[in-house]
Amino acid sequence: MAIAAFKFFLLTSPLAIVVVLSVAVGVLMVVLFGYTSDQEAIGLTKDQVKAHLLAVRLYRDQIPVVMSSYGKILRGTGRYLKLSFKPLLWVIIPITFLVVQVDRYLGAAPLPPNRPFLLTVHLAGQTSDAPNDVTLVLPSEITMTAPPVHVPSENAIVWRLVSSKEGKYEVKIATLGRSATKAVRVGSDLTRISTVRLRGQFWNRMFFSAEPPLPENFPVESISINYPERDIQIAGYGMNWIWPFFILSMVAGFIFMKIAGIRI
Amino acid sequence: MCLLALCAASLSLLISCQHAKGGAVGSRKVIVLGIDGLDPDLLTKFMADGKMPNFARLAAQGSFKRLTTSIPPQSPVAWSNLITGMNSGGHGIFDFIHRDPKNFQLYFSTSRVEGPRHNLRLGSWVIPLGSGSAEQLRHGKAFWEILDEQGVPNYVYRIPANFPPVAAKGKTLSGMGTPDLRGTYGTFTFYTDDPTAGLGEVEGGEVVLVDVKNNRVASNLIGPDNTFRRNSPPSVEPFTVDVDPLEPVVRIAVEDQQFVLKEGEWSGWVPVEFKLMPLIGSVKGICRFYLKQTHPRFQLYVSPINIDPRNPALPISTPSDYSSDLAKQIGEFYTQGIAEDTKALTAGVLDDKEYLQQAHEVLSEHRRAFDAEFPKFHDGVFFFYFSSLDLNAHMLWRLTDPQSPAYDAALAAQYGSSLEEFYQQIDQVLGEVLPKVDDNTTLLVLSDHGFAPYRRSFNLNTWLLNNGYIALKEGVSENASEPLANVDWSRTRAYGLGLNGLYLNLRGRERQGIVEPGSQADALLSQLRQKLLAVRDPKDGSQVITRIDLASEAYQGPYARAGPDALVGYNRGYRAGWKTILGAFPAEVLEDNTNPWSGDHCIDFTKVPGVLLSNRKIEAQAPALTDIAPTILAEFGIAKTRDMMGQSVFQSR
Repeated sequence: MAIAAFKFFLLTSPLAIVVVLSVAVGVLMVVLFGYTSDQEAIGLTKDQVKAHLLAVRLYRDQIPVVMSSYGKILRGTGRYLKLSFKPLLWVIIPITFLVVQVDRYLGAAPLPPNRPFLLTVHLAGQTSDAPNDVTLVLPSEITMTAPPVHVPSENAIVWRLVSSKEGKYEVKIATLGRSATKAVRVGSDLTRISTVRLRGQFWNRMFFSAEPPLPENFPVESISINYPERDIQIAGYGMNWIWPFFILSMVAGFIFMKIAGIRI
Repeated sequence: MCLLALCAASLSLLISCQHAKGGAVGSRKVIVLGIDGLDPDLLTKFMADGKMPNFARLAAQGSFKRLTTSIPPQSPVAWSNLITGMNSGGHGIFDFIHRDPKNFQLYFSTSRVEGPRHNLRLGSWVIPLGSGSAEQLRHGKAFWEILDEQGVPNYVYRIPANFPPVAAKGKTLSGMGTPDLRGTYGTFTFYTDDPTAGLGEVEGGEVVLVDVKNNRVASNLIGPDNTFRRNSPPSVEPFTVDVDPLEPVVRIAVEDQQFVLKEGEWSGWVPVEFKLMPLIGSVKGICRFYLKQTHPRFQLYVSPINIDPRNPALPISTPSDYSSDLAKQIGEFYTQGIAEDTKALTAGVLDDKEYLQQAHEVLSEHRRAFDAEFPKFHDGVFFFYFSSLDLNAHMLWRLTDPQSPAYDAALAAQYGSSLEEFYQQIDQVLGEVLPKVDDNTTLLVLSDHGFAPYRRSFNLNTWLLNNGYIALKEGVSENASEPLANVDWSRTRAYGLGLNGLYLNLRGRERQGIVEPGSQADALLSQLRQKLLAVRDPKDGSQVITRIDLASEAYQGPYARAGPDALVGYNRGYRAGWKTILGAFPAEVLEDNTNPWSGDHCIDFTKVPGVLLSNRKIEAQAPALTDIAPTILAEFGIAKTRDMMGQSVFQSR
């Protein structure tokens, strides 16, 4: 029973997920770095830099020696950076994509039921006649609580909506005879959230959207929802998950580095 | 084994000592509902009409008496009497406002907030070399400080005259006297594109002219003065409003927050951070928006910027994080002492319907706080304050009083029962309390004063001027921007400041005093008393002033002579005019009060007693506010302090 409860906690508690993930990522970073780097060369370079640092302290009254050591420290640092660059790429690229994916779960929280939220549609083109033709089709659980606000300066329309029940819904936006949908997540569970659905904009979609692109011929640039940010509670303080993740993964990596004898 | 026995004995001793510390306490409970302005006549009527069944039950099964209020019957004075068991001579609070006799500058009577004393100027920046301070000006020990000393747990919610809150072991939240983030008793802002809307500063607020360009309004929320900048300009935080070209709806964007409001809708609390100095200084506040109109004129009301309870810029609770804990339980709430925006109604920025919506929200917040805290109360003292009956009686009295110059039959038909509805809500609160009152619980339901109509204004300074007690400098008009600035002090013998204060221009106290203390002062006071009591209203011959209390007779204690020399007690229907309070000279001595602020209590204290109800028999024939602190202490077997004037209302006298 206790084990089941602990497993449930691990699966549903954002803090537990951050802790487990940070430790795993910290270890993975070190392992990846160890496999993809020239450990011998890195070790030698670091030792040489240390030796020259020592020389600076020991021979501080001999200016030529000190200056020469500074030059060698600079050269050694450059060499160290060169040796680290490739393995760092091996580490950073997958971690970046991992962080983007995790952020879709931990960066935002689902919408609370019975609390208003905004759905904003940015139309394509500045002179479009579309604003007056855009309609919103809502599931029965979601209602509109105010007329839409047309914002000519941003070519945007903003709806205030509220959901009466928890659930996963889709709202349909139709204009000029075409339509597209946007996912809406209401509740309190840990779920994958897409704050925005975009048309085109490959890199923006890669980093910010968790939905397929809007159809190319659809006259809408983006459909977004102002989901609340999710705070991880640590000792009574709420913070974005990235901060404990950053610190814990560094600590885990540092400890594992010592254990595994990998030089970074 | 011996060691084990010794440990057990020590543990037993420790436990018994703990019990002894609160020995007199046991599980004794005292619940105090402090209901500002609950009027005994209205209560009696509503009980008789069956509108307040819980009060009727308490009055029938326990006791219901009139409670003698303070001199003068103003809330900061009255609650200070209750808190300390002393009158103004002991606690030093005489009015909402006090004056410095050396320069006639006015200041809030209950607290003083000051910036750092030393600063370093760097270009347009001012770097503080120290921290500012918030100081409470009320003297004397609060009853909960004594309870703390005796180990009696206590909870005190929004009691007036407790800002900044005195150090306490229990949870307390400051109430009336707590400023907004601008350091005022509450300054609203009204944004409009109507150039005829009376722009600039109005009493209790500011009207700002905005442009609606391309359906967008860009303006600033006005925050506290930025003491990091030379000359301390007000700090601002930009916001934008996108107005739908056709529909009565807008989108408002403040910092990274956006929300949509329809015409006639209130927003929730919106957090705002005013940046005073990059990376170093900022203060956080909260405000609410009300969209009054979009077309043809843009009209947006923004509430006073309240201190954010989650990040308070000034001390508003004990422990300091209690305000944040409460906000986590019930959401953000008004922290300014006087939350009902009476000034916006007076200025015509909010109409009666809009004001009532706001006032109901204030009471809802109090009730949410009550519902969150009352179930946690199991032992000691629980004090909970409600402001609604007082402020709404001030504003809504005219709707029930056809004799009021501000009476409007149409409005009366629409909102005439509103005050009664607030009374009924308070009855519902009592209904939540009564089931929890057992044999070990003492319940006190009380108010600081009652209420009376305020139909006519008496301008004391104009009367003093007309009767030769005040002389003006030659060649200047009566009124100046500073209080009493045009007064010729070398020929002035008496002046009025505050709601009931009458001061002599006393030699050695006032900067240019001419009245000798002693027999000359006494004779002058006697003459003024006689003449003021003789004032009749030319409208109907009514006596305007029914009582003059001399400080020397009314007050006891070390501060007895620090306030006014006499207190003017107006008849029912009369009160000091708004301008005379601040030292101005309106043309007429008596004038109709057409202001929505149409009920009042700052009059002859015998005409506006408060109420005292209890589940126990009240033995005192004429209980007074100064009896309440001794009563609470006596319930725990704690002797009153030497300074306290009253005694337990449950003891026969």
